[in-house]
Amino acid sequence: MPRTTTLESPGCPPLRAITFDVLGLIKVTEARSKQGGVPKVVERWGEPDASRCVVSASINDRNVDPLLAVARKSGVIELLSPVNGDIRVSLPNVNQTDVPSQEDGIVGLHLFKKQSSDSSSRLCTLLTCTTKGVATLRSVTVPKSLGDSTFDDTPTTWKVCAAGNVLCCKVDENENYAVFGGKGVEVNIWDLATHTKIWTAKSPPKNSLGIFTPTWFSSATFLNKDDHRKFVAGTNSHQVRLYDISAQRRPVMSFDFRETPIKAVTEDTDGNTIYIGNASGDLASVDIRTGKLLGCFLGKCSGSIRSIARHPNLPVIASCGLDSYLRIWDIKSRQLLSAVFLKQHLTNVVFDSHFDDEDVAGSVAPMPSSEQNVDDEPVEGDDEESPPVIKQKKKKRSKSRSLDENEDPTSSSKNKKPKKVQKLDGEDEGSHFAKQKRFKMSQNVDKDEEEPISAEQEKPKKSKVRSKDGKSKKSKKPKGESIDV
Amino acid sequence: MHFDQTSGISTISLSLFTATIRGMGNKRKDREVQSDDDEPMKSRTKSTDGGKPQLLPSMIKNKEKRSALYAKLKLEKKTEKRKKAKAREALESKALELGEELPPKKVPRTIENTREADETVCRPDDEELFAGNDADEFSSVLNSQRVPKVLMTTCRFNSTRGPALIKDLLTVIPNSEYYKRGTYDLKKIVEYANNKEYTSVIVVHTSRREPDALLVIGLPNGPTAHFKLSNLVLHKDLKNHGNPTGHKPELVLNNFTTRLGHRVGRLIQSLFPQDPEFRGRRVVTFHNQRDFIFFRHHRYIFESKEDKQDANDQNNETEDGKTTLKGKVIARLQECGPRFTLKLTSLQHGTFDTKGGEYEWVHKPEMDTSRRRFFL
Repeated sequence: MPRTTTLESPGCPPLRAITFDVLGLIKVTEARSKQGGVPKVVERWGEPDASRCVVSASINDRNVDPLLAVARKSGVIELLSPVNGDIRVSLPNVNQTDVPSQEDGIVGLHLFKKQSSDSSSRLCTLLTCTTKGVATLRSVTVPKSLGDSTFDDTPTTWKVCAAGNVLCCKVDENENYAVFGGKGVEVNIWDLATHTKIWTAKSPPKNSLGIFTPTWFSSATFLNKDDHRKFVAGTNSHQVRLYDISAQRRPVMSFDFRETPIKAVTEDTDGNTIYIGNASGDLASVDIRTGKLLGCFLGKCSGSIRSIARHPNLPVIASCGLDSYLRIWDIKSRQLLSAVFLKQHLTNVVFDSHFDDEDVAGSVAPMPSSEQNVDDEPVEGDDEESPPVIKQKKKKRSKSRSLDENEDPTSSSKNKKPKKVQKLDGEDEGSHFAKQKRFKMSQNVDKDEEEPISAEQEKPKKSKVRSKDGKSKKSKKPKGESIDV
Repeated sequence: MHFDQTSGISTISLSLFTATIRGMGNKRKDREVQSDDDEPMKSRTKSTDGGKPQLLPSMIKNKEKRSALYAKLKLEKKTEKRKKAKAREALESKALELGEELPPKKVPRTIENTREADETVCRPDDEELFAGNDADEFSSVLNSQRVPKVLMTTCRFNSTRGPALIKDLLTVIPNSEYYKRGTYDLKKIVEYANNKEYTSVIVVHTSRREPDALLVIGLPNGPTAHFKLSNLVLHKDLKNHGNPTGHKPELVLNNFTTRLGHRVGRLIQSLFPQDPEFRGRRVVTFHNQRDFIFFRHHRYIFESKEDKQDANDQNNETEDGKTTLKGKVIARLQECGPRFTLKLTSLQHGTFDTKGGEYEWVHKPEMDTSRRRFFL
């Protein structure tokens, strides 16, 4: 009997992804370890309506009171709760000029993660950018319930470009700078605190035949968490370019990828791997330090990739696009973990990282994640405390630091090699978190950092580490069982 | 020393030799066993239909015996089959006599009905599908808010069969016009057609004087479908072809089941007027089978035919109430127009743009890993 079913894909680790589509629907897909990691659509928010097509989305993925910002085609921006889909705030059309929104729709939206200085947790900041290049920074208070009136600060607006269409807009991890680029708009970086342009790229020279490729950027992303000076941009002429604003105005490196426009670029957390997706559905990971293709993600993906999201904790990326599938891939093996058919052309995907596998409160899974947040927070706090002026002074120091960090990942990747095997044989979440924590620790503390390397070279210690992992596995399993019972 | 060596070698060779002998002996034994078991095995095959897998007839070395066994097996199979068929027929005839329900007919297994499960297959209860349909690019044409108007053109260099196909297609698709391609860019032509409020553009691509690709572009921002065209038979090359009238044809779209197929079906539907004239008795068929779309163009007629043999049936029918038609009604088909096969290679989002276009679906070689996977 021939095979009549599709090949079963390995399940994915417990996660929760939110996708946005052309009809304005927001769908929540969850994978639970109980169901063998098969992701399923659990919720659908909104009614199908073409004018409410989601153009851009951004999530503030904090532990308490997370928020999801969604920009519609009609120019309406909505703030939702990613937990239950309640609309908290609905901002009407942002345009001051009352231009029909079809011509000047929103292309980029960013919901700021860091709290503003007056520490009222209800206040959140939004950056939007339209095709005509009008960037708007506004803060909104989120009411407890929908009935409350929303206090809207006077938005600060500035023009990013004089001519051309902005197509991509991205804010760096520390949320001090933003990059804009588009059709006829060279990529430029703006300081969000002072609303000044600090850097503009220069188009690459004509090639040997004297042919000049017109500027048309279709995607951009910052490379490193702590470094706003390096970023990657994908162009419509299927070129991926690495810019370093401290080095030169022309790209430091550029390489071609396939034959269709690069539609999505996303950075990895390690700061030197990027994921690129193009208009014919090819998805690949590239080491941006060398510009070498690490490998392609093969999985019969046939439609243009509109968005790629990297899970903050798990070694997993999600891609979605015009083939209306949400696909979840493993980073290391580049295997397709699962694909969910979501019926409409998808425009965006985000991960909700604070998703606990079991519905029961106080379960095992959220504990490590909360610990991680504890780890994360001091880093963020440091960044917030240091004002931008000091940062510029620190440039040299930070440069050296960044160099160090460039070395870090390599060493860590070396470290990871023995771990890889472990990861393959069983994707235990608990052990993974433990690894992550270790990785974080090594990143945070510079002095300790050298130790693990030496430790890694000695064999007995390695075995110790393994046994630790094993212990953590063992210690976690009984707990999970008790909950199941 | 020397002696030792030789002795060693000899022992080794001896052991090897013994091993081979033993092996041979085993083989011989096996064969003997087989030949001994030959008769019982045959009897077993007779009795239980199929012996054990260890005693395969291909293991028999003697050709005569083997072929005899094969012939025997074949005969058994044949008789078995005949027996089964006879039993089935008997059952059927019995059921017919008693007026019972006939035993269910077995459905043969084909590639189509064993196709890989596909979650993208459209379901009639899917409200999102209909919401999507209302929002898509064809809805204005298909809701007959706009009248379909088609611009046809060719590739840059065309000759003989290309223009002939265009001529045939012009008769098939009402409200279509042919424009000489000239040296215009396709993007310019699309722009022009947009200004003139055409709803679609069809480009027939020829290579080596043979049409080999068809490009259907929805306007103003509809998708672009790229088809491979093959097995073309022109109107004048068809035997006993009919000549179509100028009525608006009916359209038959078969088996466009998945979301992609649905979309392609809607694209094709938007080429034709939505109000067919049934008086014309003209039908255009796009039949999808295993991702190949077969195009046919027919005229049909319902004829009442008087037969001497069917006199009784005729009476029955007239008694049933069909007073106007005399005799048995027969639908007759006459093929006219071109006949060709299409295969989708890509569906592009937006109008024609090879460099900067986004694809909704592209055929990639990695998709062809199963014969039973279909996309339309």
